[in-house]
Amino acid sequence: MTSLPSTFTSPVAEAPLRPRYGPVWRLALAICALLLILLALTLGASLALGVGLWGINIPFVWGFDLVNYAWWIGIANGASLFAAILVLRRHSLRTAVNRFAEAVALAAAVCAGLFPIVHLGRPWLFYWVFPYPATSEVWPQFRSTLTWDFWGILSHIVVIGLLWYVGLIPDFATLRDRARRPAAQRAYGLLALGWRNSVRHWSHHQAAYRLVAILVLPLLTMMQSIVALEFATTLVPAWHDTRLPLHFVATGLAQGLAMVLLVAMLLRWGLALERHIDDRDVDLLGRLVVASALASAFLSLEEIAAALLAEPSQWAATVNRITGPRRGAYMAAVVLGVLVPQLLWLRAARRSVIAATFVGASVSLGVWFDRFSIVVGGAERDYLPSLWRSYAPTLVESGLFIGTVGLFGALLLIFARFVPAVSLFESRHDEQEERT
Amino acid sequence: MPVRPPIDPVPHAHLGDEDLGDEGGRRLWRSPEELAAAPEVSRHLEAEFPGSVEPGVIDRREWLRLMGASLMLTDLTACGSHRAITGAPLLSHPRGRPEAAPGEPVVFATSLELDGYGRGALVRTQDGRPVKIEGNPLHPATLGATDPFLQAEVLSLYDPGRSRTPHENGAPRDWQTLLRFLRPLRNELVVNEGRGLSVLLPPIASPTLNRLVELARQLFPHARWHLFSPMVDDQHRGGMERAFGRPVDLVYDLTQADMIVTLGGDLFTVEPGHIRHAADWQARRRAADRPLPRLFAVETTPSLAGARADERLALRPRDVEAIARALAASLGLLGGAVSDPHPAAARLARGLAAAGERGLVAAGREQPPSVHALAAAINHRLGAFGRTVRAIEPVRPPVDTAASIMALAEAIAADEVSHLLILGGNPAYDAPADLDLPALIRRVRLSLHVGYAFDETASACRWHVPRCHALEAFGDLRAFDGTLGLCQPAVARLAPSLSLEETLGLLAGQNLDGRGLVAATWREAWGEAFESRFARALEDGVVADTAFPPVEVALRPDWDSGPRDPAADASYDVVFAPDSSVWDGRFANNGWLQELPRPLTKQVWGNAALIAPETANSLGVRSGDVVEIVSEGRAIAAPVWVLPGHAPGAVTLPLGYGRTNTGGLGEGVGFDAYRLRTASAPWRTRAEIRKIDRREALVTTQLHHAMQGRALVRAVAPGEALPKEEPQPSLYPDWPYEGHAWGMVIDLDACIGCNACVVACQAENNVAVVGPEEVARGREMHWLRVDRYYAGAPDAPSTYFQPVPCMHCETAPCEVVCPVNATVHSAEGLNDMVYNRCVGTRTCSNNCPYKVRRFNFIDYRATAFAPDDDVLNPQVTVRSRGVMEKCTYCVQRISAARIAARIEDRPIRDGEIVTACEQACPTQAIVFGDVNDPDSRVSRLKREPRHYALLPELNTRPRTTYLARIERKDERPPTPSGEAGR
Repeated sequence: MTSLPSTFTSPVAEAPLRPRYGPVWRLALAICALLLILLALTLGASLALGVGLWGINIPFVWGFDLVNYAWWIGIANGASLFAAILVLRRHSLRTAVNRFAEAVALAAAVCAGLFPIVHLGRPWLFYWVFPYPATSEVWPQFRSTLTWDFWGILSHIVVIGLLWYVGLIPDFATLRDRARRPAAQRAYGLLALGWRNSVRHWSHHQAAYRLVAILVLPLLTMMQSIVALEFATTLVPAWHDTRLPLHFVATGLAQGLAMVLLVAMLLRWGLALERHIDDRDVDLLGRLVVASALASAFLSLEEIAAALLAEPSQWAATVNRITGPRRGAYMAAVVLGVLVPQLLWLRAARRSVIAATFVGASVSLGVWFDRFSIVVGGAERDYLPSLWRSYAPTLVESGLFIGTVGLFGALLLIFARFVPAVSLFESRHDEQEERT
Repeated sequence: MPVRPPIDPVPHAHLGDEDLGDEGGRRLWRSPEELAAAPEVSRHLEAEFPGSVEPGVIDRREWLRLMGASLMLTDLTACGSHRAITGAPLLSHPRGRPEAAPGEPVVFATSLELDGYGRGALVRTQDGRPVKIEGNPLHPATLGATDPFLQAEVLSLYDPGRSRTPHENGAPRDWQTLLRFLRPLRNELVVNEGRGLSVLLPPIASPTLNRLVELARQLFPHARWHLFSPMVDDQHRGGMERAFGRPVDLVYDLTQADMIVTLGGDLFTVEPGHIRHAADWQARRRAADRPLPRLFAVETTPSLAGARADERLALRPRDVEAIARALAASLGLLGGAVSDPHPAAARLARGLAAAGERGLVAAGREQPPSVHALAAAINHRLGAFGRTVRAIEPVRPPVDTAASIMALAEAIAADEVSHLLILGGNPAYDAPADLDLPALIRRVRLSLHVGYAFDETASACRWHVPRCHALEAFGDLRAFDGTLGLCQPAVARLAPSLSLEETLGLLAGQNLDGRGLVAATWREAWGEAFESRFARALEDGVVADTAFPPVEVALRPDWDSGPRDPAADASYDVVFAPDSSVWDGRFANNGWLQELPRPLTKQVWGNAALIAPETANSLGVRSGDVVEIVSEGRAIAAPVWVLPGHAPGAVTLPLGYGRTNTGGLGEGVGFDAYRLRTASAPWRTRAEIRKIDRREALVTTQLHHAMQGRALVRAVAPGEALPKEEPQPSLYPDWPYEGHAWGMVIDLDACIGCNACVVACQAENNVAVVGPEEVARGREMHWLRVDRYYAGAPDAPSTYFQPVPCMHCETAPCEVVCPVNATVHSAEGLNDMVYNRCVGTRTCSNNCPYKVRRFNFIDYRATAFAPDDDVLNPQVTVRSRGVMEKCTYCVQRISAARIAARIEDRPIRDGEIVTACEQACPTQAIVFGDVNDPDSRVSRLKREPRHYALLPELNTRPRTTYLARIERKDERPPTPSGEAGR
């Protein structure tokens, strides 16, 4: 590929090829590395000694593990749904934020994928969920939502990975061509899969990219729904509800968008990419966030209405979720996930880095509290009052969660370091279009 | 005849080889005569057997006895080697086929002691180790059922806290050293006829033990004998002496009773014969031809009998006597009315008068003699003697134990005791606090303690000798009604140790042969028929028709000591109570019992000062706040537990906790209430209570106590039927069960909440003990739990118990959600858990509305609380970390029955399969069987009008179902119409 000297592409493409990357990046990576050490410790302890190190009990057999799983899945889903829609609609915003969205989705999916394995009592046997012809002739239970979940998270990681990677192939070729060191040339060359910039390549690439993007769409609603169905198909009164998948998909979308907004803002600020992620893009993202927050608000109201119509036990459980010992989590979910994003109705707020960052973090945190409120608060009032208990996470669980935040951060930092943070070929494409 | 110098194995046997050496080396001897002529041997013989060295003064009988004693000492030396003991034949008589194949369980009948009485048990051993205890159906105290203590004895056998060697001043010594020390000592005592010797032992209804005590008394005529047990029964005896002029034991027959009034105590868990009482009470309730009996409980501390009573009255201890007097007066005793009677008294009296000889008043052991006398007088007036109650000669030695232990303390204080022998018990821990026995014991020049563990008493004594567990020894025990039961070992001794009989035999110069000692007692009694009767008795565990006959009692004219003015001071009444898990403290190391939720509080691993909600308000405390309780200058700090139904103005202190030396799990659990207990007021005292600024985390398994308007425990009026549940539609077709379809019915009218089933399940199914921290996190492992709900006002609640095992749902929600098919339905309708397939997603527990599934969050076999491997039932898998587990309906028992039936080529009989919980239940509240067989017991119960399923709206169609409790309409609590009976 003959790389045109382009004012747009150069700074973005130069970044991964620079031998040194600046103190802020290194400081951030150091912090993430510390969190990764925490992750390694807590993960190792959980695997070696068992999930008894967590605060889970009977009846709260799930706690932080599922809360954090659902939360990371929400981020992954929201971000990848957003990315896929941009690709399919050829939206102008895609140039700016697509790559972030895909990276966020992939990193979050990796973080999410940790939990279903480590939360097992005997995690080394996780592959028994896979239907392989074992000598025991025992197959997985295909009616179990957990089996669906296995397929869900597997397909999710594969498809998001593909989306991200297919989009990157031409850019890897650019990097290959620009790299000066032989090692970098070889590495990027391998990743570029022999990209020669022929028209045929471009044609196949576009088809593949859009095909994968289309795959993302049903997959995402499925993934989020499966997580929701893990709860909704049980008999637990506060969970047993058909509205739960919708709730998970909608709040997850808000959360993903907020996360993309947050990461975009941080990248824009950190890598000085104002030209690529311009005010219009940020404004558009802000509008999407506020729209999804409105959907969440509607669902919050609908939840109460649905509980009013439900069985007494379900009503009692919902009331307890809202007013019981875990009302704090419910309130936090509503305030952070629904009320705070309403700030973005203001144009000034949408344009402000600080406000956008704040809202992005708030929505994401709000959805975390929503998941906590559902998983923990929702299980507090089961059928038999004799087993009404509660759950509180231990240090190990909290460490595990903070550790995955570190993993997420480290993956994003490494991504920013080694691959173009903004799609080069799309930028050039836009550049060309603007010129003509 | 001239006595030959004895050919005595004593020198070389128990002097040990080194004793035969002089400074220069080993001295050889050519004949026993030569050896016996050695001066040290002569000296020894003279000291040991004063009569024997002087020719001509000894008769043949005496000689044989002495020879026996020598041999006995030889035996004792063998105690030094574990192998020598374990290699010995057991000499027990198993039940059934003695030629049982390896791996097949062998069952021994024996009796286990509680409170001095025998309770018949069947011990199942596998590969030589006892793994499970059941009640002996032939034994009157158990009728085949058990209580938690009986179940848990098998774990006590393997208690790692048991001492394995003798100790001197706390340091381990070998048996040789002990014997070298003891031999001259005994000689010394024999020579001075026991002067300075005091022996302390608990009152036990054992004919052999008491025979040996008599023998020893003859040998040591100047020795003093003291009897003490912390479960003092003096007040009952005092009451009987006051009423009838003689000590008698009362045996209740609740099958005959129409109206029962209990004054304190707990007929179902504390009083002697409590398992039998519960069984009889339920048998009476089930009697179809007679109206339901009434049970009326007057009590301070909520008891299980009170929880099951038709009506209960919570009164301060000081007020109980007043109502008893009012009752007596209304029945024409006491020569007329009493002033200001309790409003309930007249109603009760009418009920009792109507019941006539079928009425019964039972006073608890903590009541003063006057109440016991009043109860006896009322029963006498009703004509109940001979119908609902009978008086028998005292089964245990009728000794005033409080006076006895006080006499010991005085004797030590007066320096009259040079040798103190403490046989069993743990008086340094549980003797009255005002005696300060530990300090006194330390003053005795030479003290020796025979006990299970190196406990508080052992550490106060100079010597400690390991006592063997009841499952390792021969013996005999009388039941509460006098019925004789024999004890026999079910296992070779795990470590060299002595039984009380053997120790006393040693003292009395008998053979060190537990079986021989017991046999000697009965050879004398049975004469010619001994051999066959003894073998039969060992096999049965019970000697038929040996219950004490009733004795005639007549009320003394001056039985009434007159009314006492209840002192109207502001202090709180304190009631001491045996604990439902550790009894008097002896089970403190027993993990099964410590982790057993106490029936009413559901507390585990500890005790608490129980107070009424009203008292809690006036003190400004809530459960977990620590209070200081000061009585007669002694103070303890204890966390309080607000217990609905407790009498206000009083506090109940469960005994048996705060142990400091147990050698095991029980150390430092709970607070020690004995520190407030005095010799003069063993059961009740007064105290000041003051809140101190501290909280203690009390561990409980149940945090919510109301049914929240849900129809979980249902109640019906007598004869009333529950509405029929219409079958709900399902997307799936019914599965046809062609063979058996197992099911269970739990009769909530019969359940008294005693927890026997919970421990039985734990013992049978290797259910892990997880420890207080894990229980506090909500991770107890019991496969069967007993939920306890309250309805009505907190000061006078109705109490409901509901045992909840796995429901084995027809449409089990747990099965479809397991991703790896680790929980599946069997062809007979069991909801099976496949441990080695489970990966531990725990989603099955999420989807179980009954929350009966238990998860191995960590490797519970690797914790400090895990019991010895030997107690594990080899027929049940031990679960590893990370797998789910739950009730299996004792599938191993189902398999065993299926195999037996197939071998004999017959169908499985109804009642042939008995689950562990069903087997343990004193009231037969649990029935298991084949629901495909319309004539099976369980099928018949499922057609009862009281039958219902738990949470039927979920359409899980459980195989475990319930029968509603029967309550008279007028006696249901006024408020909770939606609580209990929805």
